[in-house]
Amino acid sequence: MKKLLKRTIATAGVAALVATSMVGCGKAATSQGGSAAEGSTSTTMTSEEIIKQAAADGKVGNWGLGNEYEILALLTKYGLPTEYLSEDFTMDGFDDDSITLASAMTYNELGLVKNSYEGGYKYGDTVGVIDMNDEGVAMLEDMVFCTKDFAKKNPETVKAFLYASLKGWADACADPEKAAEICYEAGSSVSGDHQAYMAKEVKKLVETDMNGNKVSELGNMDEAAMTQTLELAKKYVKLDDSDAAAKLAGMTLDDIRDGSFLEAVKASDGKFNVEKKKVSIQLKWLPQAQFMGYYVAKANGYYDEVGLDVEIVSGGGDISETTAVNNGTVDFGVTWVTNLAVANAGGMDLLEVAQIYQRSGLLLVYKYDNFSK
Amino acid sequence: MTAKIKRKKSLWKRLHENKKFVAAEAVFLPILLGVIIFLLWQFEGLHKILRTDTFVLPLPGRIGTIIVDNWSKIVVDIKATMIVAVLGLIIGCLAGYLIAVLASMFKTLMKSGISIVAAFNAIPIIALAPVISNWTKDVSTDANVRSMVAKTIVVAIVSMANMSINAYRGLTELKPFSEDLMRISAAGKLKVLYKLRIPNSVPYIFIALKVAVPSCVISALVSEYFAEYIVGVGRKIRENIVLAQYSTAWAYIAVACVLGIVMYALLMLVQKVCLGRRGSRTS
Repeated sequence: MKKLLKRTIATAGVAALVATSMVGCGKAATSQGGSAAEGSTSTTMTSEEIIKQAAADGKVGNWGLGNEYEILALLTKYGLPTEYLSEDFTMDGFDDDSITLASAMTYNELGLVKNSYEGGYKYGDTVGVIDMNDEGVAMLEDMVFCTKDFAKKNPETVKAFLYASLKGWADACADPEKAAEICYEAGSSVSGDHQAYMAKEVKKLVETDMNGNKVSELGNMDEAAMTQTLELAKKYVKLDDSDAAAKLAGMTLDDIRDGSFLEAVKASDGKFNVEKKKVSIQLKWLPQAQFMGYYVAKANGYYDEVGLDVEIVSGGGDISETTAVNNGTVDFGVTWVTNLAVANAGGMDLLEVAQIYQRSGLLLVYKYDNFSK
Repeated sequence: MTAKIKRKKSLWKRLHENKKFVAAEAVFLPILLGVIIFLLWQFEGLHKILRTDTFVLPLPGRIGTIIVDNWSKIVVDIKATMIVAVLGLIIGCLAGYLIAVLASMFKTLMKSGISIVAAFNAIPIIALAPVISNWTKDVSTDANVRSMVAKTIVVAIVSMANMSINAYRGLTELKPFSEDLMRISAAGKLKVLYKLRIPNSVPYIFIALKVAVPSCVISALVSEYFAEYIVGVGRKIRENIVLAQYSTAWAYIAVACVLGIVMYALLMLVQKVCLGRRGSRTS
């Protein structure tokens, strides 16, 4: 009975919201009709209120497995216990309201929630988001890394790979639709429409920093953003291994990144004396526009131009890109900064050489009608 | 020369004529093997043989330290995993036995039931777990409770298949003519069940349990991968491997091994008590 009531209010709420066409501004005011509330006005809540209510209901979701630290930081920011439900790789939990504040990547899950193409949940503008960048708990995500040993032995290869990859990223950002097509042809795990949506969203993450400013150089490792990421990692990554925990606590940026390759690439004329011609890159996930720069670089022949024969190895599921790079299965990898820091704390010797995403793509998504006063 | 021929009966052979020595050897040799492996492992000989490093296969000392350091946390995970494993095992085995009993009594009606249950057994846990998780969304508003229910159902399904197939054999593969004898004596279906089928099935129950007990721990571990509520030894193994924390992952793997072994040892004990001499006769 309660559920039915809630649903009636919900439906009325949606109708009202759409009618006032004020959705998306985050503070849409709307009057509520229907039988339940006796003519009282309802306002959508502020981000803080939403987070607090969802946490009190125990309905904040995240995938865990190293993707949860920004959410933990956010919960801590509002003085809430750092508990969350485990999301699977669909948004079904969000759809059926077992998770009311669900983690979503701007370029992936949010598109599925909003859009009506294949695999979409068709929520359109009836959902709102809480952005980690706005909340000040953003951590840097997709970047290129290899082992310190590989970088030392093959500096020209690293430079050549970065040079060509960044050229690919520049092209992809200039024409995301074309990039999406290239990714789709490369063996897509998702529909062409979703691929196109993803490319557009990824472009924003590559070209805009955490403060919303345009990035001057693609791949740049911004000191402030890197520091914020590492500090949050130190605070929220809990390692059971006391040795690893101590190593993480004492970690500095110099232990995980080296900007010299990127500097050399900027000054380069595009000619490299590569030590290793055949190299591979392990993606963090399935082939999709999240990694469009590498696919575009390959399709446009940029890797060939610098004398490299690059194999793009797709990930997915529980593939551990840090392990794959560390044991030499592949030469380069795409992972999140935190994953690399934690892997190094655990005993690996990995090195970030370029930061592709300049801001966090993680959001919390909610339905307006679940959070109205 | 003749002296040499006389000494043909070596110390080794003479010792093997001693029953006490043979009994001691049966215990001693496996322990010796264990100690050798442990020493090879701790002093990195094993790593040379397997061509791996201490990063992927951490030293036992390191694993032990992590277990000791985090014992209070590990206990919470052990409890969560064991409740699911044991509850699922009990429910699954009872259901499986019931199906077998029905199938043995109403053969024409229920025989296909056993095939269906056997088919369930072939579904991988990783396919089953997410489906059951979705199913049980409405069971409770508490994510911990509904996850627990989902995990228990997975374990129960796996255990049920095993039990019903084995128990069915025990209930139907009777001594020649024993059923006919009962019938001639005007025993009804129920009487045949109580006096003949069920007693005959007891050793088969233990055969089923010998597979079901270790597999209930494994099913519980794997079902934790897909549960909504984050808790359990299995979830910790997965988390730490994804985060490249191999020492910690191995600590939880070690815990999982011990859980499996303890459960199996308990089963052996129960079998000894239940079957007594009968157990030794059948085996």
